[in-house]
Amino acid sequence: MNPLLSVRNLTVRFGETTAVDDVSFDLPRGGALGIVGESGSGKSVTCRALMKLLPSVAKIDGAITFDGDDILGASEAKLNTLRGKRIAMIFQSPASHLDPLMRIGDQVAETLRKHTDLKGRAIQDEVLRLLDVVRIPDVQRCARAYPHELSGGMKQRAMIAGALACKPDLLLADEPTTALDATVQKSVLDLLAELRRTQGLSMIFVSHDLGAVARVCDDVLVMRKSKLVETGKIRDVIENPQHEYTQMLIASHPDRLRLHKPQDVARAAPLFEVKGVQIRYGGGSILDSLMGREGGFVAVKGASFSVQRGEALGIVGESGSGKTTLARSLVGLVKTAKGEILYEGSPAEPTGRNRAAYLRDVQLVYQHPYEALSPRICIRDAIGEPLRRHKLCSPKDIPAKVADLMQQVDLAPELGDRLPAQLSGGQCQRVAIARALAMDPRVLIADEVTSALDVTLQAQVMDLLIRLQKERGLTMIFISHDLAVIRRLCNSVIVMRQGEIVEAGPTADVFDSPTQDYTRTLIDAIPRLDAAPA
Amino acid sequence: MKMSPMFLWGAGLVALWGVIALAAPMLATHDPYAIDFEALLQAPSAQHFFGTDNVGRDTFSRVIYGARLALYIGILGVIAPMLIGMAIGLTAGYFGGWVDSIAMRVVDVAVPFPFFVLVLSIVAVLGPGIENYFIALALVGWVGYARLARAEAIVLRSSEFVMAARTMGFSHPYILFRHVLPNALSPVVVYMMTDVTLVILFGAALGFLGMGVAPPAAEWGVMISEGQIYISTAWWISFFPGLAMVLIGVGFALMGDGLAKMLRIER
Repeated sequence: MNPLLSVRNLTVRFGETTAVDDVSFDLPRGGALGIVGESGSGKSVTCRALMKLLPSVAKIDGAITFDGDDILGASEAKLNTLRGKRIAMIFQSPASHLDPLMRIGDQVAETLRKHTDLKGRAIQDEVLRLLDVVRIPDVQRCARAYPHELSGGMKQRAMIAGALACKPDLLLADEPTTALDATVQKSVLDLLAELRRTQGLSMIFVSHDLGAVARVCDDVLVMRKSKLVETGKIRDVIENPQHEYTQMLIASHPDRLRLHKPQDVARAAPLFEVKGVQIRYGGGSILDSLMGREGGFVAVKGASFSVQRGEALGIVGESGSGKTTLARSLVGLVKTAKGEILYEGSPAEPTGRNRAAYLRDVQLVYQHPYEALSPRICIRDAIGEPLRRHKLCSPKDIPAKVADLMQQVDLAPELGDRLPAQLSGGQCQRVAIARALAMDPRVLIADEVTSALDVTLQAQVMDLLIRLQKERGLTMIFISHDLAVIRRLCNSVIVMRQGEIVEAGPTADVFDSPTQDYTRTLIDAIPRLDAAPA
Repeated sequence: MKMSPMFLWGAGLVALWGVIALAAPMLATHDPYAIDFEALLQAPSAQHFFGTDNVGRDTFSRVIYGARLALYIGILGVIAPMLIGMAIGLTAGYFGGWVDSIAMRVVDVAVPFPFFVLVLSIVAVLGPGIENYFIALALVGWVGYARLARAEAIVLRSSEFVMAARTMGFSHPYILFRHVLPNALSPVVVYMMTDVTLVILFGAALGFLGMGVAPPAAEWGVMISEGQIYISTAWWISFFPGLAMVLIGVGFALMGDGLAKMLRIER
C-alpha cells in the first residue's frame, strides 16, 4: 500500500542558511512518526514544510506527496482544500493560536462551517461531540468559555478538538506539550495516543523530548543541524542508538543520567530557616481595610522549611504553585506579608537596609538564559559588574578574577567580548552562574535554570552545578517543575501546590514512598524513556 | 554594527545639509540680505539660480543660509524635550506607584491638545522669537519622549536582568542608568529623528505666521510666507525653501528608520 505521506530529499533554505538538508521519510496510513531534535535542528521547519506553511523567502526543494497529491507543486487554492481538512496542525502555545475574543465553541465551529456541509444545530452538536472526544469536562460550559478562562491543558485540548473537526487524515503536532506542566503534558500525550487508536489518525509529532515521543509514536526521526541522523522504530532507537548524537541525546535524558549522590549534611543549626512566610500580591487598598479584609492574591500561604549548610534542597510544583515567588522572597524581590526568614540564626531582611551584605551571601540564578543578562553589556563586563560595584577586589585584579570565573564555568576566554545574543542558551546560563559566583555566595538559588535548555545542555549545566557545589561547599536551593532534575541533585525536597507546602522530606523518601496523591501524580508524570506506549 | 543602507542615505543627506550650512558664505552667490531693486521677482537663471524675491534678494543664497537656521532650530529644539522626557519617563516607568501616577496625569493633560496649538499659544504668551519657541518645545515636547521611555522602562523593570541586578544589591539609580537607559534608548533616538523634522517644520510654520524668526532673516518659513502672495507669478520664492525642507526632512527620517534597524539586537 502507498504511504499516506512521502517526503523525498526535502531541502529548505533561508537565504544562505540551510534549515532542512536532504530529509526523506514515509508515513504509512495510521502511523505515528516522531521528529526529535534540539532547538534549531530543523524539526519544526520540516513539519511546516509539509503544509507549505513557510515564509515566501524559504526555498524548498525535493518532493512531498500526500495521498498521491504533490504538495510542493500545488496551487494555494489546492493547498487550502488540504489544510485544515485533510491535514491539521496543532502548535506549542495554544494561548497564542486561539483568538482571545472568540468563544472556544465558536472557534471549533468556524472550521466546521468552512470545511463541512453541516449547518446550524448540527454544528453545535458536532462541536460538543468534538470537545467530548478530547476529554474536556463539562463541555457545555467550556464551549461558551473564552480562551483565558481555561487552563493551558484545556486550551491545548480545545485546539486539538478544532484540528479534529474535519476528521483529518494527518495531524501535525509541533511541540504540543512543551509549554505544559508535566502532569498536564502526560494527559495530553495520553489523549493523542488514544486519538490515534480510536480515530485512526496518522500523526507527526515534533518534540525535543524523546520520552514524550515514545508515549505516542511508533517510529522516530532524529534530526541534528538540519540533517537526519537516525531513523527507526522508537524502541530500537532508544535501546540501541546507532548514531553518536542519538547516543548522547539518550544518555542526557534524566532517566539515564547517573544518579548523583548528594553529600550527607550534618543535622546542625540550619543555615536558612523560613518560618510561616506568607506572600500576597495586591491587597491592602483603602477598600480592603474598610471591608476588614487583607485582600489581594495569596501566592504563598505560610511556608516553613529549613536548609542545612551544604545541603541541596529542591522545591517542586506545577506552574502557579508559588515556588518561584517563594524563592524570590528569599532574595528580596518580593516582600513577605507575614512570617520571617532567618539566616544563620538571625533575622534576615532581604528588602531592608543591610540587603547588600545579605545578598553577597545569597544569590539567585534565573530561568531564561537570554533574559537574565543585560543585552547591551558584553559578558566580561557582566561578570565583572558585581566585583566593580561592590569593590570586591581592586580594579586591576578584576580581569584576572573574571577570567578565573569564566574558566570555572567552562567558558572559553575568547567569548568575553561577545554580547549575550551572540551566545547559545547554555553559554548564557554559564555566564549567569559565573556572575552569581563573582559575589562568592554561600547560598545559590537556582530558579528553573535548566528548563529553557535542550536536554544535552541541561545535563551539562546540572553537572556544572554539582561540581561547583562540591568545590565551593555551596548550599543550593533548586526550584524546578522537573522532578527528574530534582531527584538527581537534591538531598531533600519540598512539594508545593497552590501556595502551600504539601509534602517535605529527604529526596529518596519522597520519591520512593510519597504520602500525598499529588506528589505521586507528579512523579508518575515524569517522562520516561522506558515507559510503555500509552 | 552593520550599517544599514537606509541610514547611510539619510546620514549622507543630513551631512550634506551640514556642509551647506557650514560653508554657506562660500556657496552663496549673493549676500542673502542684499536688496536689489534692479532685479525684482526674476525667474531662475544663470545669474540667480533660484530666482529673486519681491525686493530682489537672491533666493538661492537665502535657501543656503536658511540651512543654518533650520539645523540650529531642529537639533537644539529636540535636546531639551528629549532630556526632560527621558528623565521623567524612565523614572515614572521604573518606579511606578505615585511617581508614575503624577507624571502620567501631567502627560494626560498635555496630550489631548494638538501639539502645535499648545506651542503656538505659549509662544503667543511669551512673545515671538526663536528662544521662546525653544522654551515652548521644552514645556510640551517632552511628553512624547516621556511616554515612549515610560513604556520601555515598564517592560524592562520586570525583565530578569533588572531583577538580577537587584539581587546583586545594586542601587536603583545605578540600575536605571546602566541597565534600563541603554535598552530604552533606541526607540527614543528613532523618535528624536522624526522629531527633528517636526521641530524644523513647526519652526518654519511659526516663521510663516510671523511668530518665530523675525523677517528679514533667511529662514525657510519666513521665505515661504513672503513668497505666498506671488505664488502664481513667481513660484520660485516659496518653492525652493519648501523643497529644502522636504530634503532635510527626508534625510532625518531615513536616518531614523535606518537607526531603528541598526539598534535592534539580532540573535
